[in-house]
Amino acid sequence: MIGWRCQYFTLAWFLGKLPIMSTTIGNLNASVTAPTPDISVQLKNLRMANPVMTASGTCGYADEYANFADLSKLGAFVTKSISRQPRPGNESYRVVETRAGMLNAIGLANIGLERFLAEKVPILEKMGVPVIVNVPGWSMDDYADVAEQLDQQVPVVAGIELNVSCPNVKSGLSFGTDPMRLAELVAHVRRRVTRCTLIVKLSPNVTDIAVTARAAVEAGADCLSLVNTFTAMAVDIEKNRPVLANGTGGLSGPAIKPIAVYMVHRVYSTVAKTHNIPLIGMGGIQTWQDAAEFILAGASAVAVGTALFIDPSIPQQIAEGLRGYLLRKGKSSIREIVGTLAMG
Amino acid sequence: MPISPIQQTDAVRGHFFGTVTTNELLCREHYRLTVEVRDFPRSHPGQFAQILCVPDAQTAAVPADVKSLDSPVPPLTELSWQPAQPPPHFHDRFFAGAAAYLRRPFSIADRRDRVATATTAHVCELDFIYRVIGKGTRGLASMRPGQRLSLLGPLGRGFDVSPEIGPAILVGGGVGIPPMIYLAKVLHEKKIAAMALAGAQRRDLLPLKISPGNGPPAPVPTPSQAVDEFARYGFPSMISTDDGSLGFKGYVTGMLENILTAFSTDQRKRAVIFCCGPTPMMRATAAVAAKFAVRCQVSLEQPMACGMGTCQSCIIKYQPPGQKQWVHKLTCTDGPVFRAEDILW
Repeated sequence: MIGWRCQYFTLAWFLGKLPIMSTTIGNLNASVTAPTPDISVQLKNLRMANPVMTASGTCGYADEYANFADLSKLGAFVTKSISRQPRPGNESYRVVETRAGMLNAIGLANIGLERFLAEKVPILEKMGVPVIVNVPGWSMDDYADVAEQLDQQVPVVAGIELNVSCPNVKSGLSFGTDPMRLAELVAHVRRRVTRCTLIVKLSPNVTDIAVTARAAVEAGADCLSLVNTFTAMAVDIEKNRPVLANGTGGLSGPAIKPIAVYMVHRVYSTVAKTHNIPLIGMGGIQTWQDAAEFILAGASAVAVGTALFIDPSIPQQIAEGLRGYLLRKGKSSIREIVGTLAMG
Repeated sequence: MPISPIQQTDAVRGHFFGTVTTNELLCREHYRLTVEVRDFPRSHPGQFAQILCVPDAQTAAVPADVKSLDSPVPPLTELSWQPAQPPPHFHDRFFAGAAAYLRRPFSIADRRDRVATATTAHVCELDFIYRVIGKGTRGLASMRPGQRLSLLGPLGRGFDVSPEIGPAILVGGGVGIPPMIYLAKVLHEKKIAAMALAGAQRRDLLPLKISPGNGPPAPVPTPSQAVDEFARYGFPSMISTDDGSLGFKGYVTGMLENILTAFSTDQRKRAVIFCCGPTPMMRATAAVAAKFAVRCQVSLEQPMACGMGTCQSCIIKYQPPGQKQWVHKLTCTDGPVFRAEDILW
């Protein structure tokens, strides 16, 4: 563990330079008499030391960010989508920046399960944080086979996140947007996943996200993560073509945050609270204030996605910021504020 | 025949905050930004940094010790837009629609190191030369001396400069010229003979300092010492412009063909072409290199979100000779420098 940390000497320097971190730590030191608020989170069987995880597809497979952030400070690490077979993904262009956001259509490019197990799992085992593997699929068995293998053979994997909503692959869209098919899929995977926390990542590209949320929960999901990206398009007006080779892409970043907060609140108040199902909120989170919005709206944990491209250390900044917020609010645990948003 | 991308073993990189010392107009739409960064790791020509093109709010206000804001940065009157004002708060830097959201990649144009002493830290002065084309570079052009800037680096794999090269032929086009300046310095340090070919659309879009007294760039492709950035190391250079407004009228590849035609078989065997520029220009250079059987390294550019190998957006098709099937490689971490013959153009 010491060897692992020592590689990241640049990080120590960076943390010292970071105004937010040093201020927060300073405040904590100043108030040594107050108990440090508990920010740990339990998502069914998955215990996180803090509520901040990475969002799938924005943090690679394992240690790509090791030079830029202390990955052992993450609440959980969520991998890029891992499919049964390797996938080359879409043609270029795959990303385009839009106002306060980003549009992507990577096409679930990934190294496949076999190489993931051989090359990436050993690195993840050393990271010291719970790992959640994002699993995409084009048939029910695509999902179930990968999920079962991870559940039974890879102890470091503590959660399976079903990518039922990636809007970039035509056949993938229907699972996440059709409540009947979604329920069927979740029940199918549920029968074969016994150890890991089964997370269903909801698509926002529906009329009422509470409908798909209820379908997933009643079919056996342990936890819901929301939201995935919004299907969107950018146009090259000189070439009269979409900018992305795929035509459409998924919109992420601050542009979607208010919609994502609303959807978390919608799912929390209509489904999750009554079924006692924890939510992972995501969509444009960049600061601890953003994260606090999601938590008050009903999320037990949050994920940082696109913002990692700008600064991979944002999750640990958010975790410290949330601790300071709880201290200031006189709360002893983050669980005290989940879904406490006062309406009306 | 090794089939892996160019290897470099020292992969120390990180997130650094630097202080802008100068940000000056070099020619139409082109600026040179100089940033002082403490303890910046070792780097190679061809490597790049991902720059947040919005000043850090800690120093977004005018620092008291900067006497004149106007003198170091030339007026932007040549450009049709006005520079964006830096947002007032740290968190706002992510939100302003007028500002760049993601980082932008820039190749290192030069570095100068002041080694640590008993009382001072190691400080590295990094140069970045950029052309203002969008909101990222517009934001960068608005930065003033004293402001703090966040950068990730050094990223990627740079040019492979092995000592048995001779001569090195540097081929830079437009905004592909900056890494050639840094490369020239390293070649000089390694005592490798080199010559530089630089091309631009027009005379006023060439971000290089021309001293005609040293033998002006000639309309016929003749090497001279006219370009300061290369002459300072004793390297001859040639200039081409698409419209003939400076130097040779035509493309850099035209000059390159002339040079390689004059080379002996032995010279072609030892020569290495280092190339950076727009993709069509690099594709043409690769073709010339193949025609004369001269080794060629190219520094590619692709739209890039992260620069750290996670977003998977900066893909290129990679197929070394002898390999049956192409694979995607990432420009950011597998490149940006590749052997020209390995790229499926």
